[in-house]
Amino acid sequence: MTDLAIGLWSFPALLALIFLRVPIGLAMFVTGLVGLWIVTDGPIVALSRLKNETYSTFSSYSLSIIPMFLLMGQFATLGGMSQALFRAAEGFLGHRRGGVAMAAVGACAGFGAICGSSLATAATMGRVALPELRRYGYDGGFSTATLAAGGTLGILIPPSVILVIYAILTEQNIAKLFVAAVVPGLLAALGYVIAISIYVRVNPGSAGTRDPIPGRERLALLVAVWPVLLVFVAVVGGIYGGIFTPTEAAAVGALGTGLIALANGGLNGRTLVQSFTITAKSSAMIFFIVLGAAFYNGFLALTQVPQEMSAWVVEQGYAPLTVLVVILVFYLIFGCLMDSLSMILLTVPIFFPVISALDFGMTAEEVAIWFGILVLIVVEVGLITPPVGMNLFIINAMDRATPMLQTYRAVLYFIGSDIVRVAILVAFPAITLFLL
Amino acid sequence: MLARIVEALARFMAILGGLVLTGLILMTCLSIAGRWLNGVLNADAFEGVALAEWLLARGVGPITGDFELVEAGMAFVIFAFLPITQLHGAHASVDIFTRALGEKSNRALAAAWAVLFAAVLILIARQLWLGTQDKARYGETTFLIQFPIWWAYAASLVGAVIAAATACYVATVRVVEAFTGQPILPDEGTEH
Repeated sequence: MTDLAIGLWSFPALLALIFLRVPIGLAMFVTGLVGLWIVTDGPIVALSRLKNETYSTFSSYSLSIIPMFLLMGQFATLGGMSQALFRAAEGFLGHRRGGVAMAAVGACAGFGAICGSSLATAATMGRVALPELRRYGYDGGFSTATLAAGGTLGILIPPSVILVIYAILTEQNIAKLFVAAVVPGLLAALGYVIAISIYVRVNPGSAGTRDPIPGRERLALLVAVWPVLLVFVAVVGGIYGGIFTPTEAAAVGALGTGLIALANGGLNGRTLVQSFTITAKSSAMIFFIVLGAAFYNGFLALTQVPQEMSAWVVEQGYAPLTVLVVILVFYLIFGCLMDSLSMILLTVPIFFPVISALDFGMTAEEVAIWFGILVLIVVEVGLITPPVGMNLFIINAMDRATPMLQTYRAVLYFIGSDIVRVAILVAFPAITLFLL
Repeated sequence: MLARIVEALARFMAILGGLVLTGLILMTCLSIAGRWLNGVLNADAFEGVALAEWLLARGVGPITGDFELVEAGMAFVIFAFLPITQLHGAHASVDIFTRALGEKSNRALAAAWAVLFAAVLILIARQLWLGTQDKARYGETTFLIQFPIWWAYAASLVGAVIAAATACYVATVRVVEAFTGQPILPDEGTEH
């Protein structure tokens, strides 16, 4: 068997392992190790690579941003910022039809600006907003779907763990990717608000209403969210302005949210230990997947599969846009089965060379950033697509009274809004790129 | 009894890693503050001001080699985070296809993969040990602060060995679970 054939056969082997419930990082690691063994005719290369590769992966300066962002998200939760955000958004929108749900989306967007993880955003905002939604007579399925979709803003709006990984895989500038994600992220929030207003018109009686509150009170609620704004400006502004490296910005953000949580009394010995263990589990899980992917991709590169595949696609002479759309549809389908991070690590090393080899009439960097944002969005849709969207599970677990099927039905409105947004961003790359 | 020792050890490592992570965050912020202050003090407005010159002479500025310390520290942090991830089964996995299988088959699969994971973590720890010896032998140091890289390797090794030991414990428990059909340890992996 040629090296190329071995490389190609490794895909079904890897997928079989993953679908047999092997932890994803472990599956990639083992496939990579065995593949390397076969391709290099013995264990020596694989084993000697392993002497340094775990250390060098875990000590990567760019990746060190991830545990810091995760800890920052924990502190932001403890600091009561989720409540402040929701109350402010609710004060402005709550009296409209579907307004409390819109407020939940707005608060998710705000929380996403200081938290790099969708699951954390969904979980945190779910705890705050779910009881309120039910209190104002919002349907069970509508409430859970809103929060599950809102949670994806945690990753769409920078800072974003997935973008850090994408930047490292494709050797792009993290700061530029963060900046490019801002407008599509805001569009996502807007799209969800539109989806909500359509939902309440199609299903009258799915949401209650209340009287508007006076302007002075609204202003007071708005003032209460200043710490969130401060942290966001320090982190994303600092990166954008070139004052900090992304890792430094993450450190500043973690310190800032930590101090806010301390001032609000949310941070004490017990909650600190809790934050550490949650951060520990998420970080180690992510880093182990990254390690597995590093091994697998190292093996794949040796077999020439990525190069051969991109050469093959270019030879076929398909229209670049067709190739892009096929890849995005692939992500949408696969996203129903696999978590977003693993999918990015698994597929970007293969798809990115293909996309780079095509002519979209833009510079290489522009294509890389545009593709990154598109991929980010489509893999995030996977978090809310039935049957296994992770956010759906997290939120549904908080509201046992609502059958999963009701959540599935309501979330289709949000998925529709996602697909429209992806189509718009594909058609108009400038929306993503004009801020650069 | 053993269960409690393993849990305590894994938690201890997670907290230790968290404290080191906090330390790295504080150091990075301090370095930024130093860099900023250094810029301010070097501005023309402070030309000849005694306090400014005294501070600059004391070396107010960014911490030399701060990112080297972040790198070395982060490797320790992640290795220290591994044991609790292993013990609580927090590694991400896909269970949509295996849900169709019965409980017995699922337990058998969980046991098989736990054993494989333990084997891989033992291999990682062993190779890291060999890597540590290599680095020590060649006396490799970091570029700016010239600290021996094998120190960072050795610190990481502590986490790697405890992670491997935890994985062996988890593998044993999963095998016992497969034979007795009684759940003992939590499995959080599919919640992530």
